[in-house]
This record gives sequence, structure tokens and C-alpha cells, in this order.
Amino acid sequence: MVNSLINLVVKEVKELVRDPKILIGVILMPLILFPIMGSAINISQESVRSAIISASFAVYDEDRGAASQAFVSNMSLNNNVIPINAPSLTQALAQFQSTNASVLLYIREGYSDNITMGRKGVVKIYANLKSINIAETGRTETVNFLVSEYNLRLSNNTINRLLSEADESADPNAVRNPIAIEYATILKGNVLEVPPMAIFNVLISQSILLPVLVMIMLTFAIQMAATSIAIEKEQKTLETLMTLPVGRMTILSGKLFGSIAVAVGGAVAYMIGFSFYISSAFSFAPQLTSTSLSNASLGIQPIGYLLLGVTIFITLVSGLALAICLAVFTDSVRSAQSLVGVLIVPVIIPAIILMFTDLEMLPTTVQWILLVIPYTHSIIASKAAFLGDYLLVLRSIVYITAFTVAVLYIAARIFSTERILTARMTSFRLGLRRRSS
Amino acid sequence: MSAIEARSLMKNFGNVLALKGANFNVDEGEIFGLIGPNGAGKTTTLRIVGTLLKPTSGSVSIFGIDAVREPDKVRRVISYLPEEAGAYQYLSGYEYLRFMAGFYANNQETAEKMVDEGRTISGLENRLKDRVKGYSKGMNRRLLLARSLMMKPKLAILDEPTSGLDVVHAYHVRQMIKEYVEQHDVTVLLSSHNMLEVEFLCDNLALINEGAVVAEGEPKELKQRFNADNLEQVFMEVTKLG
Repeated sequence: MVNSLINLVVKEVKELVRDPKILIGVILMPLILFPIMGSAINISQESVRSAIISASFAVYDEDRGAASQAFVSNMSLNNNVIPINAPSLTQALAQFQSTNASVLLYIREGYSDNITMGRKGVVKIYANLKSINIAETGRTETVNFLVSEYNLRLSNNTINRLLSEADESADPNAVRNPIAIEYATILKGNVLEVPPMAIFNVLISQSILLPVLVMIMLTFAIQMAATSIAIEKEQKTLETLMTLPVGRMTILSGKLFGSIAVAVGGAVAYMIGFSFYISSAFSFAPQLTSTSLSNASLGIQPIGYLLLGVTIFITLVSGLALAICLAVFTDSVRSAQSLVGVLIVPVIIPAIILMFTDLEMLPTTVQWILLVIPYTHSIIASKAAFLGDYLLVLRSIVYITAFTVAVLYIAARIFSTERILTARMTSFRLGLRRRSS
Repeated sequence: MSAIEARSLMKNFGNVLALKGANFNVDEGEIFGLIGPNGAGKTTTLRIVGTLLKPTSGSVSIFGIDAVREPDKVRRVISYLPEEAGAYQYLSGYEYLRFMAGFYANNQETAEKMVDEGRTISGLENRLKDRVKGYSKGMNRRLLLARSLMMKPKLAILDEPTSGLDVVHAYHVRQMIKEYVEQHDVTVLLSSHNMLEVEFLCDNLALINEGAVVAEGEPKELKQRFNADNLEQVFMEVTKLG
């Protein structure tokens, strides 16, 4: 029994891994495609960033006072400033549009007087949107940032001057912002010196990542198992297997374990590829990844990993058993794949819904519909394991296990009867047609 | 003891009556042929003997073992070759034979002996190292036939063993069956459309039409009985299909 099972599993794994479609689709694609995607995003983001840094902008100084000239010369220090000389704003705008610059900094008349008199000097930023992309808005942000920096320096100088006139001493920053805000977050009773938004960002990324992982892995596994059964039926190798001195349950288990082994390999490849994707795609924005799970004392504890592993395993078994149950009713690879397409719908729907919301936020009816689908529980359990809600993980495991046992029972029944050889979707359809006519 | 005793075999697939009470006997060590037109019930009969299907009624025993009640015991003494079957495309011929031997052999040594036997039967020699995906139809059939004979089953059930093969491969396959049965104590139940093949191979045969055995006997005896020059004429005479 054990030898026969090992024999079957080894055969199944060899057949699956050597099939270029599966090798490429399940193992190599995620390993190669994700890093390429990540690099592509990185390159495009880098080009946006360099576009922002090298952005040139125009300045129209209507005021022409001492303060405005000091402002313009400061702005010109590290930037490529195109001066606009025009008798009126209308002409200045027309001239600005004929330049390469996307942003015009307009210093209004009276700016220098206002600054000198201790009032607000007004400037206006004109953005010429030549095309709609992130770089265009980024250029406006750059000018905005430069003005803000100068604003701060100007403010500090004024505060320092006023303080020395009053013969007082103080930190200009403290005068401007006397109160400093620090953030901390309490999570599961632990006080973390991390802003809540940082943790929230991590949670959000996890809540998207986990459903996607479960969905992808299940899709792989279901397609593989269904195709494998369909090929066995098409080639009549299943017919041969059924006449060998080996139990039907052993044949079924061999198929299940072989597919699981490859699906797990695919999931590992996916996770490796995905982590490369994340690290390369977001390398331009380190603030997104700097709050690692360990820093936030979040992440999965060993018991959580164990439960997550159990969840993923039984989810895979249930998906595979369901795929096998359905695939036996087909007589070709093509019909098996189209049938599996239907099975993937209940996998995708909960994954997509739970990517954007939590179950509790949905209307009760939708909650119940989703809860009937076992793959909803796989996603809930993945999230719960991450948050340390192990009771919820156990509840999900129990539900998926019950479903899996039921499906395995049906699969075993089908395997132990001649239906595995005689059942056809076409005959079902014909039967229905006959009955309806 | 008879190798196969089939009594009043009936098989329904929904409203379709595939077998209508087929009876036949196969003696130990003989090659027995089932001949009939498409849809006559040959494959259904072979599948029942091969424990893949259960008869709706009737009985079949293999070396005294009830195939319906004790299919597991029957599976230990038979090997079954489906019509136009394939092998696993991404295994090599050797790996395929080794995989199949794994279900019959108790240890590595026995398994390797079986594979060596398979290598001899198939005549594929070094091509056994290649993946099945690259095999021609004839090579594929030789591999499968070697698989079904290499473990020396008491009963080999061969459904259309030369179906779709060219003359050379068909000849080789027929020789393989004939020689193997002569050298080893193996009983063969086969189905075929090819009357020349049946006449060459079979010690006894049953003509089957519309789910029932319409004539049974040695090829020579059947020709005499129906005053025919060949089995084709016997078949046409018995079935009145012409």
C-alpha cells in the first residue's frame, strides 16, 4: 500500500514537473515574470523620479523687489529656472507655454512690500499639464516643495531677527510649532512605537497578498489535478491503473499528493517571485517597506505558521479533490479545463471581495453566501493567523476539513465505482435534453 | 480449471443494452479471441473480465475467482491492455515499465527482472531510455504490450492489440503474443477486427454480435461448420450482416 502510494506519487510528480506547460506556468513563470514586472515598475518609477529631480520651471517675477529677487536667486541655486520677462501676466503665461517648462512660479506685485511689512507675500503656481501622468503632478510638487523650504527659511530668519530685537532666545522651530506629536500604537495589548498608519499599511498589503496567494495556489492546483485526470482518461492510462493490484483510494491519494507536492512547489516559486517583485517594484519608495513586520511586532508566530500551513494544506486537498471529482465527468483535457474554469469562480470571488473589505463589513446575506464557500475560510484563516486570532483559524480549519472530507468521500465513491470510466458530461447533457423534450 | 467462465453476462448503460447474456469459456494457456463488429460488446466484455465494469447480471470467474465479488484478487492475476491506450508521455519507456513493475514486485530485484523481461518483449532496447512522448504509435503499442506481459500474468486481456498499427508493427506485436504464450503459462483473451490475426493467433474464438455470443469454437472447426474459406466468411454467415 505504502510502496504503491510512493510509486504513484513519484510518477505523478515526474509527469507534472516534466510537462513544460506546468513547469513554465507553475514554477518558472512566477520566478521569472514577477521580478521582470517589478523591475519594469521600478524603471518607470525611477524615470518619473529623475524627471521630477531634473524638472525645470519658469519664474515670472512681477514684483521685481529686493525680497522677490532674493527668492528667485535662491530658487535658481540648484534648479534650472527659466526667467520670464513680460509686461503682463497674460503675456507671461503665453511665453511660459512656449517653453519646455511645465510649471510657472508667479510672484505677484507687492510681494517684497508684504514680506518687509511682516505680511504674507503671495506666489502662485501655474501647472501646464501637457500630458496626464505622475511626472506632471510631481513637477508641481517639486516647485511646491522648494517654495515651502524657502518659506521655512524665511520664517526662521524673521523669528531669529524678532527674537534678537526683543533680546529673547528660543528655537525658531519651537516658536513656530510649540507642540510636537509622537505616535504609538497599541496592538493586541502591546504598545508599539510605530504610527498606526504604518501598521495599517502593512496590514493592508498583507490582506491583499494573502488572498492572492491562496487564490493563485488553488487555481494552479485545481487546473493541474483536473488536467492530469483528463489526460489519464484521454490516454486510457487510468483504465490501466484501475486493473492493477492497487486500491482505488491509493490511486486517488497518489494523484492528490502528487498534485499537492507540485502545487506547493508552485506556491513557493510564487512567493519567492512575489517577494522579488515587491522589493524591486517598491525600492524607489523605502518608506513603504521600512516598517517591516518584525519592527511592528506583527507577523506570524510559530503556532500561526503551523495553523496557516494546515489551512493551506487542507484547502489544497479540498480543491484538488473537487477538481478530480469534476474532471472524471469529462473525457478530454479541453472539456476538463473548461469545467475547471467554472470551479475557479468560487475561488476568485471571495479572494477579490476579501482583498478590499472584511467579512464583517458586508451585508449579512453576502456574509452567509461567502461563508458557505470553503475558500472564503481559507482567506479568513490566513488573515486571522497573521493577526494571531487562532480560534478563528481553527474554526476555519474545521469547516474546510468537513468540506474536504465530504468531497474526498464523493471522490472515493466515484473512484470505487465504474462511474470513473463511464461518466461523461456529454451523457449528462444528453440525459437532460432527453428529459426536457 | 477454466481460465474464464462467463455466464449470461448482461450489461446496461442506461437504456443501452450492451450485452444480452453472453456465455463463453476460455481454457488455461490458450489464446481466445472475441470477434465482432463495432458496438457488438467486445470491449464491454473485456472490461467486465478486467474488473473495470460490473455486469448488470450474470457472472464471470477468473481461475475460479468471482470477478464481481473479489475484483482485488482477480487484479493480482490479470493484466489489461485497453484499445488505443497510451503510456505516460513524460516518463521514459524504462520509467514506465519500472512504475508498472512496482505494483507487482515485492522488491527491487524482482522489479528489475520484470523490466528486463519487458525490454526483451518490446524489443525497444535503447529507445526505452527515451520519453514516451517521442514514440511512434507502433513503439507505444509494443511498450504497452510488454508492460502487460512482463509480469507473467495468468491472464492477459488485450483489446485490439494491433489496432491502428502498420504491417511491420502489427506483425511484431502478433509474434510477441504468440511467442510469449508458447514460452510461458499465460492465457490470453483478445478482441480483434482482423480475421487474419485471429486465425494466426487464436486457439479458440467467440463471434459476438449485438451483445450475444453467436458462435464459438476453434477457427478450423468454425470454417468447416459454416463451409467457409476463411473466418471473414464465417463471420458474415453467422451474423448475416452481409
